[in-house]
Amino acid sequence: MSSYAGVPGVIETQESRGETTLVVDPARLIEACTFLRDDLGFNFLSDIAATDYLGWGEQGVAGYIGTTSGRDLNTPGSQGLSHVPAPKPKRFSVSYQLLRVGEQAERVRVQIWLDDGEPVASVLRVWPAADWFEREAWDMMGIRFEGHPNLVRILMPEDWEGHPLRKDYPLGGEPVRFSDED
Amino acid sequence: MSDRPLAKAGLQSERVLWPDRGPGVFEREVAEIEDALLLTTIEKAVAWAQSNSVWPDTFGLACCAIEMMSIVSSRYDIARFGMERFSSSPRQADLLIVSGRVTHKMAAPLRQVYDQMLEPKWVIAMGACASSGGMFNNYTILQGVDKIVPVDIHVPGCPPRPEALMEGIIRLHEKIRGGVPPAYQIRGVAE
Amino acid sequence: MTVLPSTRIYEGTRIPHPVPTILEVDPDEHRLEDILTINFGPNHPSTHGVLRLIVDLDGETVAGIRAVIGYLHTGFEKNMESKSWWKSVTYAPRVDYVSFHGHELLYVLAIEQLLGIEVPRRATWARMAMAELNRIHSHLVWLGTSALEIGAISLFWYAFDDRDQILDLFEMAGGTRMHTRYVQVGGLAEDLPPAFTSEARKFCKSMPKSVDQYEALLDRNAIWLERTKGIGLLSADDALALAQSGPMLRSSGVNWDLRKNQPYLAYDEVEFDVPVYANGDVYDRYKVHMDEMRESVRIVRQCLDRLDEMDGEPWIADDRKVVLPPRHELHTSMESLIHHFKIVTEGFTVPEGEVYVTIESPRGEAGCYVVSDGSARPWRVRFRAPSFAALQATATVVQGLLVADLIAAAGSLDPIMGDADR
Repeated sequence: MSSYAGVPGVIETQESRGETTLVVDPARLIEACTFLRDDLGFNFLSDIAATDYLGWGEQGVAGYIGTTSGRDLNTPGSQGLSHVPAPKPKRFSVSYQLLRVGEQAERVRVQIWLDDGEPVASVLRVWPAADWFEREAWDMMGIRFEGHPNLVRILMPEDWEGHPLRKDYPLGGEPVRFSDED
Repeated sequence: MSDRPLAKAGLQSERVLWPDRGPGVFEREVAEIEDALLLTTIEKAVAWAQSNSVWPDTFGLACCAIEMMSIVSSRYDIARFGMERFSSSPRQADLLIVSGRVTHKMAAPLRQVYDQMLEPKWVIAMGACASSGGMFNNYTILQGVDKIVPVDIHVPGCPPRPEALMEGIIRLHEKIRGGVPPAYQIRGVAE
Repeated sequence: MTVLPSTRIYEGTRIPHPVPTILEVDPDEHRLEDILTINFGPNHPSTHGVLRLIVDLDGETVAGIRAVIGYLHTGFEKNMESKSWWKSVTYAPRVDYVSFHGHELLYVLAIEQLLGIEVPRRATWARMAMAELNRIHSHLVWLGTSALEIGAISLFWYAFDDRDQILDLFEMAGGTRMHTRYVQVGGLAEDLPPAFTSEARKFCKSMPKSVDQYEALLDRNAIWLERTKGIGLLSADDALALAQSGPMLRSSGVNWDLRKNQPYLAYDEVEFDVPVYANGDVYDRYKVHMDEMRESVRIVRQCLDRLDEMDGEPWIADDRKVVLPPRHELHTSMESLIHHFKIVTEGFTVPEGEVYVTIESPRGEAGCYVVSDGSARPWRVRFRAPSFAALQATATVVQGLLVADLIAAAGSLDPIMGDADR
């Protein structure tokens, strides 16, 4: 495992389940990525995953597990968790999954946190593979990447409105008989 | 076995499975249609010829396309029905087997391909996604291809086995021979 | 990892600028009045599904190209967020529908890593056997369709005949030919049937002979060599910059296989070689696919031997909070009944966290990034699709080719549109 001490812009380093996540300041993303690519040898950008945390920890999903107020033994059918998920710093996170294709295979995740509408620099100059991944993040989540030469929709039709994978975008489809009917 | 000419020509599918039963619902309905339409011998001959060389169009979209490809392969040989000539040009195809999920983005090309086909033309909606949207009831999948093209046969399955698709194709042949008009003549698209 | 001393496939980089995935017509080389823009539309026999290529042709030479995808975007990720963990596994194999076991395995591995549960070794080895059989299946489909497009039409029938044998094995174990839903969180849905190993051994005996037959048909066929050698070049540096993996990377001289370099399941306990070729053209990708089929048969044989030793062992983990208890226990044990009820109605819950799991799918590195909020439903599921990455290389790979070679090169990228569009 290499030491990530020299990576510029790291706010926090998290390790869980055998994976390392470097939370980086979005303003210094390009610096951090260039350092990781050139000095630490992470030459392979595996994936760029954008996640929307709107509503994180608010709903008692499926009604069985529990609510933000914790475990309630007196309400029938609510098992509850003994803790609530830790709140996230901002609404969106973009995770860059990096891989070192080399003598010592290693993976690291660079994570940045953004608000709605906040743009972030594009890492296209660091890894050309970021082209379509960033287009997809823009298409699905509405995260704007500055410096991307061709930020248009890729999966949805060009004239589609809205960003489908956001939590406030409905699943869509047709109402089906016998589902959610009382 | 009834004395209907078509029955002698061989409505096979249900009788293969249940030889001792009488004509099934499908067979009876086709026989009724045959009665009602009073096909002439020429029309019957034309229908027989049409049904024996329905040329499908290569409209493979997703997983069902893999099973459609395997119906072309030697085990589930579709050439015995005269259908091995998959044509990529819709102008030379008779049958559009929509195999796979149709997105809204793909709906326009699908309709365009359907329009480019010459009549008479038939459509088989293969699989759950083409018939009704399948397991994907969401913002991007067309809930059933019969919303944009009139469908003759829906084949259920996810994906349907090659034998299931073959059953659908055989029923289509029987419909053609029975004189049932192609779907665009009897119904429009779904709601 | 080593990069083979390649024959310097080409100097420098061929990745287009400024947009890496769009090849613009170079006005110095082609007269703009000569350019004909054609549409390799979504409905085309050789686009491996619904890929659209907008190609600028100067005569027969490809002067510019861009790939348009999204015609099969199914919204998997959004659908999976609204289903319980158990139900969302059904969506996973339909992403990459030719290597369905692989993707199911990928998603289930991610859930298991979040849960932290231990899978019994019989399940691990059976999963490995299934994954390798799926690899052979995927390569046979690739071979059949790519050879068909280049003109070696009879290969389609030979390859699909072998493929039907593999699907018979899947049907024997999982109940249906494709999308078997055989991989379950904690292990396998059911034990392998008793005749599975013997039938699979019969297949393993006949498969290498089939591969030999295919190579005999193609390896020294003058037409095949003309149409595949020197076509679709991709250097190692460009391949890594474009995040290529799998056969694309290995045919460019980079010795990188996740099964060896970051082993998952029990790949570090089986013996197999990783084929690497240095020329970076379609012919080398074809050789990589053929050799991988042989290596997969080797792996399957070893798995079958180990599975025979492990006959009678459990095939799914014992953790009742996640795995359904065996049915006979429901009659006698109250706790089992309650566990069964909770798992079936609401589903098991997965602890909070995020993981990124990768496997070596037949197309390359397939990854799954799962975020859980501790509830019974996934918060975010993201599939890293090797085909998505492979299609980004289209603009680099087709430079200077003729139209017919474009088809060969695009086919060698092995894109599956379900995977690329998700």
